[in-house]
Amino acid sequence: MRIIVLVKQVPDTTEVKLDPKTGNLIREGIESIINPDDRHALEAAISLKEKTGGKIIALSMGPPQAVDALSEAIGMGVDEGILLTDRAFAGADTWATSFTLGKAVEKIGGFDLILCGRQAIDGDTAQIGPQVADYLKIPQVTYVFEIEAVRKKSILVKRRMEDGYERIQCELPALLTVIGELNTPRYAMVGGLIDACREKAPIKLWNAADIGVQTCDVGLEGSLTHVIRTFAPKSQRQGEMIEGDAEAAAKSLIGKLKENSLI
Amino acid sequence: MIRSNPEELIRKSIAKFVDNELIPSAQEIDEKGEFPMEMFQKIGKMGVFGIRYPKNKGGAGGNTTLYCIICEELARGLMSVAAITAMQCLMGTNFLFHFGTKEMHEKYFLPAMRGEKISCFCLTEPEAGSDLGNVSTLAKKTDKGFVVNGMKTWVTNGPVADFYTVLCQTDPAKKLRGLNFFFFPKDTPGLSASKAFDLLGTRTTQISELAFNEVHIPHEYMLGQEGQGLNNLLSILSEIRTMTAALAIGLQRAALDDSIRYAHERAQFGRTISKYQLIQAKIANMAVNLEASKLLTYKATRMIDNKEECLKEASIAKYFATESACKAGDEVTRIFGAYGYSMEYSAQRYYRDNRFLLYGGGTHEILQPNIARWVGL
Ligand SMILES: Cc1cc2nc3c(=O)[nH]c(=O)nc-3n(C[C@H](O)[C@H](O)[C@H](O)COP(=O)(O)OP(=O)(O)OC[C@H]3O[C@@H](n4cnc5c(N)ncnc54)[C@H](O)[C@@H]3O)c2cc1C
Ligand SMILES: Cc1cc2nc3c(=O)[nH]c(=O)nc-3n(C[C@H](O)[C@H](O)[C@H](O)COP(=O)(O)OP(=O)(O)OC[C@H]3O[C@@H](n4cnc5c(N)ncnc54)[C@H](O)[C@@H]3O)c2cc1C
Repeated sequence: MRIIVLVKQVPDTTEVKLDPKTGNLIREGIESIINPDDRHALEAAISLKEKTGGKIIALSMGPPQAVDALSEAIGMGVDEGILLTDRAFAGADTWATSFTLGKAVEKIGGFDLILCGRQAIDGDTAQIGPQVADYLKIPQVTYVFEIEAVRKKSILVKRRMEDGYERIQCELPALLTVIGELNTPRYAMVGGLIDACREKAPIKLWNAADIGVQTCDVGLEGSLTHVIRTFAPKSQRQGEMIEGDAEAAAKSLIGKLKENSLI
Repeated sequence: MIRSNPEELIRKSIAKFVDNELIPSAQEIDEKGEFPMEMFQKIGKMGVFGIRYPKNKGGAGGNTTLYCIICEELARGLMSVAAITAMQCLMGTNFLFHFGTKEMHEKYFLPAMRGEKISCFCLTEPEAGSDLGNVSTLAKKTDKGFVVNGMKTWVTNGPVADFYTVLCQTDPAKKLRGLNFFFFPKDTPGLSASKAFDLLGTRTTQISELAFNEVHIPHEYMLGQEGQGLNNLLSILSEIRTMTAALAIGLQRAALDDSIRYAHERAQFGRTISKYQLIQAKIANMAVNLEASKLLTYKATRMIDNKEECLKEASIAKYFATESACKAGDEVTRIFGAYGYSMEYSAQRYYRDNRFLLYGGGTHEILQPNIARWVGL
């Protein structure tokens, strides 16, 4: 089985801070990590490979330092890493990113399964997986929390819903986006990490020309959406203590709720 | 060519393990006081124990710098777990790796690399601590091999080890030249470990005596050429001292991190104690000592990796980093006020565990005169 895992390097913070002046993410002093959901996708791929054999390719788009995410993926047990890195890719929205990743997947070719995390902790859009599947015209299952069976031409998975789950059989090749419930990601083997840093490590760098795209179709230029402003909403909640005995306090509370048309 | 930096990558990966797995269970492991088997196996699964050994012989293909980075990070979480890891990577397996037969390699070394077998290293005897020339566990040569009689003590992992590397005397007349290392599997008849000692710090390390009573072993269990025991020990002495310094860095970092966090949280007289200059002075000194310890230690690791002689640098690093860890353990328990005296917080553990670093690899009373001699006294 040939599996492609989409991996994003993100700043290590669940509390992303924004520069109040520019509205940009403050990245200084924040370590970069593999996006947490992607780690579960990697684990799923590696444990599938342990059962059925095959090959795993981790694919990432990002600046040169995003190679660290691929090195770590190799340390975990991935066979090969491909980093899509080019100035032209910078500033991409989810559309342009999905297009770029889709093109790279086409170039890799011959895959049975694409695994990705549900969403990235920096953008939180959850759009990349579905859009890549759409671009490639392959079936997709999102929010996967269990892979029940992998057959020659199909896969049986469970998909988390708000009020339960769906059990879905899907033809291969397919794309799954996975959630943390799926598994516990392993830590990298130190020997694998060392190997991933060597010159002859199985890591390739591809630029726009390598995947055959025009620079106007990728990055900021190829994006359909444009961010006008990013800001953290002001936290405006305020508590109020109502003093007095229980009866009086309850009356006062009801009065206030009515006043604000809440009841 | 764009490639990751292995030192940063491994530090980050181990740090994640320490933050997510080791620190949350450190208190519990320490209180239980048992060999932390689960943690040992998890560390084995990451291939850490092979960090110093070449890839084609069952190792991870790293070096001493990477080894010390791992020791440092683990010691930031829990000293006893770092200590058994340090043992498994270096003293416990080194001579087996270099001098063991193919069969010993398959049966003991490779499983040890995977965390399936526990190693140990036995130098100290009741009458031979700093003075290893006094080692008197006697390995008498016979036609079939050796017969061993004697007693070792302070054997880290003694009660739980699957095999032992033991320094013995083969010919008392030869004194230091009669010292040799031997290999013993656990179940060798005549070999017995005592109950584990009750310890001040690193309370999960299982340390015991090891008695040898007419223990018969074959010739191939002598590790290394006859008469080379002392030289073999010297060949890893710089690395042992540097590793100890790395453990000391880990403890300093833990103490400093906790101190900073607590100083920000704790308010007295209407301000957080971080605002008081006497607290600032403590934290500044801890930070300065930590930085200096790092420079000394990683200078020594790089010399080892470059195959340069560096017993002086390693000794200076061990001495300074360990003394700094002792100071850090003292200061953190002051900054925490009464909570530094409570078993509920980690501060007390740093105060106890730092003592672990004082003895192995040479006491400071042994190191200081040596350092003085090296600089010209
Ligand atoms: C937690 C722990 C784990 C250990 N694990 C192991 C292990 O796995 N394997 C092993 O073989 N050993 C182990 N040891 C033992 C350790 O190596 C010895 O403690 C160390 O070698 C010192 O020997 P000693 O304790 O007998 O002290 P001694 O040598 O008796 O020293 C007592 C005091 O005298 C001082 N002193 C001695 N000689 C001189 C001198 N010439 N000049 C000035 N001062 C001197 C010392 O500095 C010390 O202050 C361990 C010890 C501890 C505490
Ligand atoms: C074993 C033990 C028994 C005790 N028994 C009793 C008892 O019977 N009855 C009782 O009432 N209490 C008792 N105590 C509590 C003891 O009196 C307090 O620990 C002590 O008053 C210090 O307060 P604290 O621990 O809250 O530390 P904090 O006051 O929070 O101090 C934390 C740190 O900040 C420093 N600091 C605080 N203020 C300043 C400042 N202005 N400038 C510079 N540095 C500052 C301190 O020196 C310390 O390093 C006991 C404590 C212990 C450990």
